[in-house]
Amino acid sequence: MAKITPTPVIVLKDLKKRFGLGDAEHYAIDGINLTIQKGEFIAIMGPSGCGKTTLLNILGLLDSKIEGDYELEDRSVATLSSRRQAHIRSQQIGFIFQSFNLITRMTVIENVALPLIYKGVTQTARLKQASAILHNFHLGEREYYMPHQLSGGQTQRVAIARALVNDPSIILADEPTGNLDSYASHIIMEELSDLHKRGNTIIMVTHNPRLTTYASRVITMLDGRIATDTQTPNRKSETGTKRPLGKKKRTKRKKEQTA
Amino acid sequence: MLGIAIGIASITAILALSGGASRIVGNQIDALGGNIAVVRPGAPSNAVLNAGGQSPTQQQFASSTLTENDIDTIEEIPNITSVAPMMILSGAVKANKGTPVTTTIIASTPSLADTNNLTLREGQFLDPNLSPYTTVIGAQLSVDVFGTEDSIGKIITIRGQSFTIIGILKRDNNPINYNGVDFDSSAIISREAGRSLNQGALQIQQINLRSDSIATLDQVIIDTNKALLKNHFGEADFGVLSGDKIAEPTNRLFSVIAAATTAIAAISLLVGGIGIMNIMLVSVAERTREIGIRKALGASNADIVAQFLIESLALSIGGGIGGYVIGYILALGVSTFLPFDPVLTWGIALTAAVVSIVIGTLFGLYPAIRAARKDPIDALRQYD
Repeated sequence: MAKITPTPVIVLKDLKKRFGLGDAEHYAIDGINLTIQKGEFIAIMGPSGCGKTTLLNILGLLDSKIEGDYELEDRSVATLSSRRQAHIRSQQIGFIFQSFNLITRMTVIENVALPLIYKGVTQTARLKQASAILHNFHLGEREYYMPHQLSGGQTQRVAIARALVNDPSIILADEPTGNLDSYASHIIMEELSDLHKRGNTIIMVTHNPRLTTYASRVITMLDGRIATDTQTPNRKSETGTKRPLGKKKRTKRKKEQTA
Repeated sequence: MLGIAIGIASITAILALSGGASRIVGNQIDALGGNIAVVRPGAPSNAVLNAGGQSPTQQQFASSTLTENDIDTIEEIPNITSVAPMMILSGAVKANKGTPVTTTIIASTPSLADTNNLTLREGQFLDPNLSPYTTVIGAQLSVDVFGTEDSIGKIITIRGQSFTIIGILKRDNNPINYNGVDFDSSAIISREAGRSLNQGALQIQQINLRSDSIATLDQVIIDTNKALLKNHFGEADFGVLSGDKIAEPTNRLFSVIAAATTAIAAISLLVGGIGIMNIMLVSVAERTREIGIRKALGASNADIVAQFLIESLALSIGGGIGGYVIGYILALGVSTFLPFDPVLTWGIALTAAVVSIVIGTLFGLYPAIRAARKDPIDALRQYD
């Protein structure tokens, strides 16, 4: 069971994000009030264009041109310098992008080791850590492949491995399983569940309603506003995963049962 | 990168060649035994004022402050083995019926052979016991005037006055030397004859002196300075030079050539630098998405600047290394037509390295800062 301690990590107060000017003005996010506690696993759902990705970018400190207030661990983001923001991204936030966003001219292992460069880890240690996490994702044999030599599922696993390699406390995932078959999806979701159990905060954007069963809280958005916000106590990861961490082989069997 | 290579190549070639040129003069002085000093008219340190690089001969032709009296004074200084004044004239020289050849005429004393290590191909050097209207000529001048190197005993007309040739100098193929004259194509006449050719006044451009050993040279220079200062009533309108300083007027000429070529090199470096800047700007534009990814993964602006600066440095240093090699090969190639070899010193390598690093940083900075300023969201949205 994930320990949901009452310490808020993220507090949003009347958050707004505007695109365009004048006649073309449009609020992608139109007044969101949201408090996310440490250790929550949040699934954000909603139709395309409702502001999910924009919200995620704001949460990930990639987009700082906002109206309203965003407090990350009790500090208002608006007061942070860009250097400080980069530091937080490097130390605390893991980003899983919708479109992989691997650097195409670098090998898989170099891609995965990339965030560690900005953490100041030495070359050998970087490659060791990257290699270890790739083994966890069953990509040990693909370390020196180039991204274009991988299948879609493998590419997404590499992207996730990269997001997790620097051991972030907040993981922001934009459709992490969007390109994966259901078996691969489960591997990813189990990994996210494991991270959640270790006390990390996970915020995931998804279109797939089945994946919300892993989450402890489901938020649906509509037109830049929060439509519904429900706690889901009966999480699949609690009922379905009674095995120790890292053993994911049985996932397939479980998947067949559930299918 | 090509521009950087060309720029560094020209700088390397110029420095190597001018280094070689000044070394050759230095070597001559060393070859003479290192115990040579030269007295020249004019204040001793006018290097900056005369950076125009005229050779001393023309510059001080009409205004020499050295007198015949000075020669006698120097001769009396202890530890000096030989003193030779040089009065350098230029004038037409011709054989009986030949066409006149304009060349250098040096009026001096028999000790010139000693101070300048002149060796004769045949015949004898000037002798005070002979008629003053005898001359020793360079082998090349002999060929120019008579069509042969073998012209002993022939009569040559110098500035309208007939001279008997008593000796031919051995070729030394050294047009660049501290005397500012090419002995291969000059005529050496006695001091008395020189005086009569110049309306009775001896205009001494240079006095060469040789001490009896290297150890006594310093003392000789001091003594000479003192004695001459007394002669000139305390006015320091002359300079006693030794070692590298003798080579200075010659070097000055090369430094002017070097300065001119360096200006051309600077232009090609500028062009090369702008080329690098363009390459980097294209690279930044192409890799906008990568910049976005890196920023999302925690790269600070400084990290991005560093990344692109290192790339532009790699380009410029690569060009620099290539240019250094090409420049040296160029210098070697050019030197086959010149009487000296290029020198390769650490100083030149250092100059090349510093120049490429400066260019790389200077022209890499703007693209790097542009890259770092990119908004991560906009950068990520770029489709590639």
